[in-house]
Amino acid sequence: MDYTVMNVAPIVLLPFFAFVLNSFIVKRFTTLAVSISCGAIFGSFIFAFRIFKDFVFGTYATDAYVHKFFNWIDLSFGAEIFKINMGIYIDNMTAVMLLMVTGVATLIHVFSSWYMHDDARYGRFFVYMSLFTSAMLGLVLSDNLLSVFIFWELMGFCSYSLIGFYYEKEAAGNASVKAFMTTRVGDVFFLLGILALWSVVGSVTFVDIYAAVAAGKFEGVMALGIPVITVAAFSLFMGTIGKSAQFPLQVWLPDAMQGPTPCSALIHAATMVAAGVYLSLRAYPLMEAAGMLPYIAYIGAITAFGAATIALIQTDIKAVLAYSTISQLGYMVLGIGVGSYNAAFMHLITHAIFKACLFLAAGSVIHSLHDPHTHAGVQEMPRMGGLKNKLKFTWIAMWCCTLAISGIPFFSGFVSKDRILGDALLMALSNKWYIAPTILGFFAALLTAFYMCRMMFLTFHGQPRDKEVYDHCHEEHLTWNSNVPLLILSVFTLGIWFSGSLTGQGLVKVAGDRYEWFQTLIHEPVPAKFATHRRQQWGSEDIKSGANFPRASYDSNHGLSEEEAHHVHHIHHIGAIMSIIIAFSGVFLAFLMYVKKSVDPGWWVSTFSGWYKSLKNKYYFDDLYIGVLIQKGLLPFNNLLAAFDMGVYDRYAVDGWATVNRVMYKFARWFDDLIVDTVAVDGTGASVRLFNLVLRTVQSGKIQFYFLIIVFVLAGYAWKLVIN
Amino acid sequence: MITLPSYLFISFVLFICGLVVMIARKNIVAIMLGIELILNAAALNFAAYTKFINQNLDGHIISLFIIVIAAAEAAVGLAIVIRFYQIKESIHIDDATQLQS
Repeated sequence: MDYTVMNVAPIVLLPFFAFVLNSFIVKRFTTLAVSISCGAIFGSFIFAFRIFKDFVFGTYATDAYVHKFFNWIDLSFGAEIFKINMGIYIDNMTAVMLLMVTGVATLIHVFSSWYMHDDARYGRFFVYMSLFTSAMLGLVLSDNLLSVFIFWELMGFCSYSLIGFYYEKEAAGNASVKAFMTTRVGDVFFLLGILALWSVVGSVTFVDIYAAVAAGKFEGVMALGIPVITVAAFSLFMGTIGKSAQFPLQVWLPDAMQGPTPCSALIHAATMVAAGVYLSLRAYPLMEAAGMLPYIAYIGAITAFGAATIALIQTDIKAVLAYSTISQLGYMVLGIGVGSYNAAFMHLITHAIFKACLFLAAGSVIHSLHDPHTHAGVQEMPRMGGLKNKLKFTWIAMWCCTLAISGIPFFSGFVSKDRILGDALLMALSNKWYIAPTILGFFAALLTAFYMCRMMFLTFHGQPRDKEVYDHCHEEHLTWNSNVPLLILSVFTLGIWFSGSLTGQGLVKVAGDRYEWFQTLIHEPVPAKFATHRRQQWGSEDIKSGANFPRASYDSNHGLSEEEAHHVHHIHHIGAIMSIIIAFSGVFLAFLMYVKKSVDPGWWVSTFSGWYKSLKNKYYFDDLYIGVLIQKGLLPFNNLLAAFDMGVYDRYAVDGWATVNRVMYKFARWFDDLIVDTVAVDGTGASVRLFNLVLRTVQSGKIQFYFLIIVFVLAGYAWKLVIN
Repeated sequence: MITLPSYLFISFVLFICGLVVMIARKNIVAIMLGIELILNAAALNFAAYTKFINQNLDGHIISLFIIVIAAAEAAVGLAIVIRFYQIKESIHIDDATQLQS
């Protein structure tokens, strides 16, 4: 199959055209606009599925890729080459990612048509969602960092509008600004990284960057005493930190739940935060060459652990999910840091599916529960409880996802998370720098299982704590378009879709090797292979499998020798057993605390009261950023600038200039009135009129008058003669 | 004894009368009458000066010329007036504002 504009561009353009069209018709034809949005994203899904089928089941294999571009900007002058290309880059990772984004986004769109139905701005929500999805798909398809950046910023805008969707609420408005400004910090670094890469490579296309890494173009290139490759890798990773809510820029994501729940599902699962991890995966060869991986591992582990601890004490159902997202993103980044490229990406996909499902299920719960007095949805878990009797379907779907995120065997989360932890363990044994991140990672796994089950027990089990809310809960509110997305997503939380073996490591083979498609097809880009890559303009023939790209088969040794592979597998087995024990102990602890009530949570709170307090305050990050950084640092600086602006610039420059102008105006006015108007203009008129008067009087046309004049003149002359 | 100033006075009165008639009257015929008066005043002056100062016939001959010229002028002028009257049906001086009818 050939890849042309006609069969790739619709993936991005269908939702984009839906956005453009809906912007105009949304007020009058709301239902039509919603249908267009859903239909457009489903159309994208079909195109994406075609690519997925082609790459995963079809003739393309292992590290096959399609790279097509056209020249966008050409400012070359003589020997100075300045060309920016735009294009698509599709490899196995893109194919999987496209399918995930379009699939999850389609289901979220369908769910939103139920969830947002009674909202006053029902249609507008879909306008933003379409643009959001389109931007994410554009980012995934991009072949260069510049277009990634463009779509990245578009997503930043969409998340801003969606988080602040209920802009009547002050908290929502603040949260949207916070999200926008926090990610902006990362974006500035990202742009810096693009410039750094441009300065060395002379191109921002991924394949060129890989080729430059392979060719050693970065060696010895320094800027201010720092290797440029370090600057570039660090800056790109800062972009990931901002977008994927990693420590220390994680503060925006918990607040982002102020938006409608389906948009939280979209942000937390398919689009926004996935983009950051996706960028890091794309820039993986660069990070590796720059020696950034240990730092990335530390950032990921700290994020995973810190967010998991905060999630322990949250009472808002969406807040628990928001912190779990940060924690799981920390796992992905940890996976990148320990060189577990495949597992990190797998966790991105599995997490997207179960987190979307979790958020949609939480949306169902919130929408079904209505405060009888305020008619607002109930999000506080202390007011829930016992809902499994009423929301049976939601309950089952949410348990599937909870087991998946907790890392219970046979669910997808176990497959991916366990492989990240296994690789981390392997690294920790050979390199002592990785010991701390690995321990934090295992701890976070325990906490994840605990807090997710805590959330489930508090929400669905036990006795109803708020009888009024419980009685007002109506299951019949749930219709097909709320349940079908949950059903589909919860089916895909099963591990079998991603790996034939239980852990993805060959520990327990559930099915044969041919189910190991994920591990077979997703590999980190090997820079050396791109040194001589063929450039393809649009319209040229694809590089197809065959001579260039042999079809891959699953290699359970991962290219290692038998002895090494044995060692690796051994460590992975230990890791898998540890994760299973940890996950079950987390679930069991939650069971003891919230179902059996044999362990009192209050005891933990009073014993670790100091820690509890810092958790309550989210480790004081908001206080640090808002109280210290902004209040003490930026605000005085801002005030200083404002004072300068008001006191000096406005007062002296602007107002002073106004005064000068006023004086000049007065003079000009005087000059105009007196000299120009009175003397020149009116004077000309007056003199003409005067002259006219004389001439008119003399030229009367009356002959006798002429004669009289002659007489007077002669008389005068005679008089003069007489006098003389 | 009639002296030169008496002649000149009469001549002056005639001249002024003619001048006033010429300027003040609107009737073309009256204006021509005024012109006659002025010519007569001039002729009287010639006659008076030649009698009292030159004591030859030069002034008298010029007086005669003046009378002839006045007659010719009156003939031509009246012809013009008649022609003018035929065109404009008026002999008012202010109607004579066109060089070409």
